[in-house]
Amino acid sequence: MTNAGGDLAARLMGDMDPELLDFLKTKVNSFVKWDLVRFFYENPNSTDTADNVARYVGRDVSAIEVELGELVGTGVLERSRVGDLWVYSLVSDAETRKRVDQFILACDDRQFRVKAIYHIIRGMR
Amino acid sequence: MSERVKTGIAGLDEMLGGGFLSETANLVEGAPGTGKSTLGMQFIVNGIQRYDEPGIILTFEEFPAQYYRDAETFGWPFRALETAGKLRVIMTSPEVSRADLERVGGRIESHVREIGARRILVDSLSHFERITRDPIELRGVVYSFVNALKREGLTSLLTRESPALIGEGDLSDEDVAFIMDSFLMLRYVEIDSAVRKALLVLKVRGSGHAKDIRQFEITGNGIEVRSKFEGREGILSGSPHRMAESFVEAFVRR
Repeated sequence: MTNAGGDLAARLMGDMDPELLDFLKTKVNSFVKWDLVRFFYENPNSTDTADNVARYVGRDVSAIEVELGELVGTGVLERSRVGDLWVYSLVSDAETRKRVDQFILACDDRQFRVKAIYHIIRGMR
Repeated sequence: MSERVKTGIAGLDEMLGGGFLSETANLVEGAPGTGKSTLGMQFIVNGIQRYDEPGIILTFEEFPAQYYRDAETFGWPFRALETAGKLRVIMTSPEVSRADLERVGGRIESHVREIGARRILVDSLSHFERITRDPIELRGVVYSFVNALKREGLTSLLTRESPALIGEGDLSDEDVAFIMDSFLMLRYVEIDSAVRKALLVLKVRGSGHAKDIRQFEITGNGIEVRSKFEGREGILSGSPHRMAESFVEAFVRR
């Protein structure tokens, strides 16, 4: 008996840029994170609270707070104290910004998006 | 003579007595669609392209992509200017930008230093009402905010939405307009069943300025200030009427 799902996974894994695949699997491993990464890609100079970022991406803060924290943990975003507010922004590290740019630009390609969605769903199981 | 920061908008600099005074806070108020943001973007792009003064756009509502699109319709290459390190479009919130400017070495301060910014567009001041609805406290918050912009050596243009679509709005004693160095009003005016736009320089602290109400248009090149409204009075009411012909003959055409 063949394992069709396994073959598909292997094919999808096989022809994806390894660095982007790693970025996807270790950092952008949920749809909310994908939205957040896209937001900070489009607004690279933004610095704002979780409440305001939630408003900008059209979600409730409870839906993004944990994911923002995880993006901080994986070095995509940074969290800092401004007065009595905690704010989030894209890290200034050029290498990470380049990877974010590559990921979002790759998403312009439908085939890449399909593969990325597959990996995220697979990772959520 | 004080250093002038030219807007580069034909007709407006002349109305301002040569431009804004350097390192001042300048309020542009108008109803939605009157051209506040366009005027602000033009102030920034002219600063970069004509006077070699990099600029920052601090937006509290519109996404940067919206500015890029709007600017493109006028042929202003915002993306390229940002890539060239002459422009930063920053979307944030009034509460964060206020707290950021209050600390030493904040992000806005870093942006100013990194590109050598001399101008800033704050779009729009109306969002500061999210911090407080108390007009006295609001005035204090805005006072501190504009002083921080001056401290950074910036000449700022701040927009504010007018609640009245047509006609005059009221200013309370605590209105933030009183702490601004200059105050420009953009108004819709109905004349002969058509809506036109009017611009008035209400004050320029420490300088003379034009007192007349000018017509302006938003063209493919941005805002163009035209002649004053001749032979009409009650312009700011939004529904001006013709002056009596005898009055025009006696005083206006002399």
